[in-house]
Amino acid sequence: MSKRITINPITRLEGHGKIEIFLDDAGDVERAFLQIPELRGFETFCLGRPAEEMARITPRICGVCPTAHHIASTKCLDDLWHVDPPPTAKKLRELVYSAFMCEDHFLHFYFLGGPDFVVGPTAPATERNILGVIAKVGLDIAGQVIAMRRKCRELIETMAGKVIHPVFGLPGGVSKGITEEQRLEFLKTAETAVEFAQFSLNLFNDVVLKNDDYVKLILDDAYAHRTNYMGLVDENNKVNFYDGHVRVVGPDGDEFARFAPRDYTDHFAEHVEPWSYVTFPYLKSKGWKGFVDGPDSGVVRAAPLARCNVADGMATPLAQAAYEKMYETLGGKPAHATLAFHWARLVEALYAAERMKELLEDPEITGTDIRTEPTRTPDEGIGIVEAPRGTLVHHYFTDDNGVLTKVNLIVATNFNAAPIAMSVEKAAKGMIKGGKVNDGLLNMVEMAFRAYDPCHACATHSLPGQMPLVARVYDSTGKTIKELRR
Amino acid sequence: MSKPRVAIFDFACCEGCQLQIVNLEEEILDLIGAVDMVKWREAMSESSEDYDIAIIEGSITRPEDEDRIRSIRSRAKVLIAIGACATMGGLNKLKNNFDMDDVRQCVYGDAGRMEHLDTAPTKAVDEVVKVDYKVHGCPMNPEEFTYVVRCLLMGKTPHIPDYPVCVECKMKENVCRWEYGEICLGPITRAGCGAKCPSASFRCFGCRGYVDDPNMTAAKDVMDKYGLSVDMLKSKLVLFGSKQGPSYE
Repeated sequence: MSKRITINPITRLEGHGKIEIFLDDAGDVERAFLQIPELRGFETFCLGRPAEEMARITPRICGVCPTAHHIASTKCLDDLWHVDPPPTAKKLRELVYSAFMCEDHFLHFYFLGGPDFVVGPTAPATERNILGVIAKVGLDIAGQVIAMRRKCRELIETMAGKVIHPVFGLPGGVSKGITEEQRLEFLKTAETAVEFAQFSLNLFNDVVLKNDDYVKLILDDAYAHRTNYMGLVDENNKVNFYDGHVRVVGPDGDEFARFAPRDYTDHFAEHVEPWSYVTFPYLKSKGWKGFVDGPDSGVVRAAPLARCNVADGMATPLAQAAYEKMYETLGGKPAHATLAFHWARLVEALYAAERMKELLEDPEITGTDIRTEPTRTPDEGIGIVEAPRGTLVHHYFTDDNGVLTKVNLIVATNFNAAPIAMSVEKAAKGMIKGGKVNDGLLNMVEMAFRAYDPCHACATHSLPGQMPLVARVYDSTGKTIKELRR
Repeated sequence: MSKPRVAIFDFACCEGCQLQIVNLEEEILDLIGAVDMVKWREAMSESSEDYDIAIIEGSITRPEDEDRIRSIRSRAKVLIAIGACATMGGLNKLKNNFDMDDVRQCVYGDAGRMEHLDTAPTKAVDEVVKVDYKVHGCPMNPEEFTYVVRCLLMGKTPHIPDYPVCVECKMKENVCRWEYGEICLGPITRAGCGAKCPSASFRCFGCRGYVDDPNMTAAKDVMDKYGLSVDMLKSKLVLFGSKQGPSYE
């Protein structure tokens, strides 16, 4: 009979997300998977509602990345009403979005994922939290992180009404422009963000890359998966968060597909497992081959490193230099090291900051033509953005009056659900042998899991900073024989 | 005097209100210094201890959640509901417009019949237990949150605005959204947000719930002026006005 190990991370929503590990007769890991209740019935209760409400409803799926849902929804509404926003409106949206990406990536690096590296993966769990980071880098730097995030949030609040659950995106444009005075003020924020992102990359360099043990850990095969990757790219195949085409590369790095958001259903299908609440999107032409990596698998990863892997580079100079340095150390492109997601996140934060600056130096940003009124009959719309955690798809169908008849949302954590399960399984296989459960299991599983910055469980539970995990090992009769807790 | 023991619990929601607390940053350190944070997590043993102040985020959507909130209530001297999900059921109440079996079927397909996916109509916290204070909004206003906590620590009764958003909107010198032909819910929605949405050139959609005694006569006069009916106003009370149920008391 198989043994069953359940790891319960603290969960958001209705409290039943968990990692489950099954052992075979020999006591080795047979399967491991992650269960998440992702939605609270959003697909149902959106039906029959006016489509324009989606830009207000969908941010409330997740308080951590509401801006991603708001912008994906707004773009979906453009498409639904067949309206092209004026250039100033697109730039204002991208400006808010860049500030959001910057703020969110810093939140993850310093408060969530960073403690594993900055404080050290082998440090006691009680020190691997934001307080441990402060002790290591000093109060002054912690203050800078706080000030930087605050400034980004002020920019978003001024432009979009609210940081959590913004309201400025409208079909065909935005509700409000910016004044010259605001532009100059935001430009200072952008300049500080560029400096701070560079500082953060230097910190990563000094603390992580100069430590051979850490580099070995990042490159360790236990944390690698040779999967397909996906992400938005601009017309020059550079990383873009707000707009562009979806590009997919195979595990060898060759382009597998490049398509407009409208065509995503030609390329992706969703697999359903009887044991999970989440759907598992996969590449249609490769098919669903199970929770495996390699050239034949249809599993695709979407995350900061995935975006870097699919692109030919970054569109801004400082980020491009950081990008090149990253791949030099990782041994070329594509990089398969899951723990390098943290590094890619910093490269992206630098790009987001530089992009903010570019947009604020663009004379069009203070333009007053900020909306094209929709006049055509709505039918079907698709909007795709790159959320901090990966590609986010909104897809709506309406009747002639713009009342929703069908809704499909694929969030980044859907794309990453299969890879997360694979990473957890790989980590578990390394730590459980012959029925013996190594006490380091939780740490390793947590590190593998957290690299994806999954949009559940951990984010707002960051204080006091460690993710509480409980693992229970059951014998074949269902009796608990071991319990690991932190 | 010992520090008051404070616990935070979350139910069904987006956790944006807790992020509002995290985003207080410098202030949070002052707050943590003034109180003894005993719980900031779901799923820990809430039955094991008592607290002076329990802070509740999210709405009640499962039968077992009702037991859990009752258990928390019985151990808390003061209970504060934060954010629209907790104070009035929030967006989650939209689910109540549907049959629960249909909701499960739509989200999970055939697997929706599985027992652990049980779901019940959404309730605000005060539909199950007594709530002492409410911090309204979606998400809650963080300044209002610290104000309420500060009042409680000083033994004062917090004063929550009971006048419409229009009051704050006027003070911001915004042009009325009705002038743009939009049906703005400012006249009947509780203020305290600083009229953030109208200030971002977007109509109020009522995330703080109704004022206690909405002046419908005045609202009707405004609507008459713009040639609109009360029914049209009600049609906009959808996101946060949907199925607002009776309160506990």
